[in-house]
Amino acid sequence: MNFSDFGIDSASLAGSLETRLAAARHSGFSQVMISATDIVGHPENTDAAVKAIRESGLRVTGLEALRDFEGLTGKMHDYKIDVAKSMLDLCSRIGGRLLLTEASASVHADIDADKIARDLRKLALLALPMGIRIAFKGLSWSRTVKNFAAAAEIVSLANCPNLGLAIDAFDVIAAGVPMGDLDVIFPQQIFLVQLSDFMLQEIQSTEEQNATAAHFRVFPGEGAHSEQIAKFILKLEEIGYFGDYSFDVYNSDYLQMPSGVIADRARRAADWLGESVLRRTLPVPNMERLRRAKSV
Amino acid sequence: MSSVTDRESILELQNPIGMDGIEFIEFTTSRPQALGGVLERMGFRPIARHRSREVELYRQGGMNIVINSQAADIPRTVVPIERPIISALAIRVRDADAAFSRALDLGAWEIPARAQALELNIPGIHGVGESLIYFIDRYDEFSIFDIDFRAIPGVDPNPPAIEGLNFFGIVQYVGVERTDDWSEFYSQIFGFTPIPDEVRFGIMPRGLLLRSPCRKFYLQLIEPEGAAQYAPMEEHLQRIGFGTPDVIAASAELEKRGIEFLATDKVRTTERGALTKAILGGVMFELVHAEPDSSDRSVSQS
Repeated sequence: MNFSDFGIDSASLAGSLETRLAAARHSGFSQVMISATDIVGHPENTDAAVKAIRESGLRVTGLEALRDFEGLTGKMHDYKIDVAKSMLDLCSRIGGRLLLTEASASVHADIDADKIARDLRKLALLALPMGIRIAFKGLSWSRTVKNFAAAAEIVSLANCPNLGLAIDAFDVIAAGVPMGDLDVIFPQQIFLVQLSDFMLQEIQSTEEQNATAAHFRVFPGEGAHSEQIAKFILKLEEIGYFGDYSFDVYNSDYLQMPSGVIADRARRAADWLGESVLRRTLPVPNMERLRRAKSV
Repeated sequence: MSSVTDRESILELQNPIGMDGIEFIEFTTSRPQALGGVLERMGFRPIARHRSREVELYRQGGMNIVINSQAADIPRTVVPIERPIISALAIRVRDADAAFSRALDLGAWEIPARAQALELNIPGIHGVGESLIYFIDRYDEFSIFDIDFRAIPGVDPNPPAIEGLNFFGIVQYVGVERTDDWSEFYSQIFGFTPIPDEVRFGIMPRGLLLRSPCRKFYLQLIEPEGAAQYAPMEEHLQRIGFGTPDVIAASAELEKRGIEFLATDKVRTTERGALTKAILGGVMFELVHAEPDSSDRSVSQS
């Protein structure tokens, strides 16, 4: 089992940043996804939040999330560049190497694929000197980039080595995307895979999907789609994905439960995936993880 | 007429900012005299001082090196410590403002302007680590040094180069799997292009070589190997390479002046190149065989 491939998302846990980091660590996680609000919302100050993360002993899976970035012009574009720079700076300060960027849902955003690709390429170049990778994620409520296949097209068009994809299992399962669609994705284009399940057997409308996505996700193995999740990550392994998995479980109920209890549930999900589903090769001691194959 | 237009547009593509070599390379250190002594042994002469900052200009032939010991006043730049660090690279371009705005449009980080009275505002961007990259378009009839610097009295402002030494390139240490990223950065913003692995210069062949669009300068990107992959390392500009038509004569002259070269089984002086021993906590220089004024150095060796 290679448990260290799985990370918890601080947004799944209630309490102060320090409490949540400690809960993640106590449950045995070695990596954690951090929200920008965790850092800037720290009651003391940003420096204290940065220090807490750096001293937690946890690796930062990535920082989330830059939203509604691409497709803007003029002053709105300049404004978003400033926001992006600020997030990249935060990401760098906490030792993060990945910024999750969600496809724009703004009605003001240009829908021209070339413009979107150009903006993302600019974002990737801003992130490049800091060693940060941009993981671009389709959103079902985006006007232009609704899923990973559309995101992959934009990423290919932009063609920048530190620009890749974040794929969310929830989106794939909720929208009933055939697993075969993953065959067209180059594994080295995938920078992050997010995993979560949900209780509903089926999602009827976009509104229902949005509500479920924002409040009613559960950990893999806890919901109604364990089999699909297992198939999903086995498919990713098959095409050669070797990166991190992060549990993006946003659940309003979990935020009313002690963080330690929730982190333990996350741990059970990781154990199930690692021991029963994935069975990845053990890494060489002292290596963070196995390195990707040079090329395919 | 159309063929002329095509040729020009191709040139434009190949050299988008009209790069024309290197105006200066900057070291930062809190002990400028110690590094100055090393540079003098390498054949440089101190010729001018900055009017208001603790910055000194050394020259040899067509090469300018500045030593900066001024306390850092911009975030994410080198703070002077004893060990000298290559802290900036100034690139000659056709139009500095145009090259600068083009870089910002592409996604470079600008450095805040800091010009004071009588000082030029040199546009610049953040490079690797804490280093900066400046764009300079005043280098023909008069230079930035004519304005911002005061000549040291009685000193020849144009000391000749030992054995035709000139800036050949800079070696940059990059992180694991970071070669593609940095190659993209230099290609996009400056128009550098990777050259084939078979083409190599000098005696230190590792990594990826990028050639400047003006074909006068190289960047060599080197990833850590073996155990070094797991050691914490900041990416940085590691050393300057000097080109010379006669490596043996140049190294002999430099040895006479007190510079020591590595002589191990793996690394030793040959006609192709030479590497100095590290001094002052890590400063080293490389000599590389290169014909003078060769407009295309890629064809000179394999």
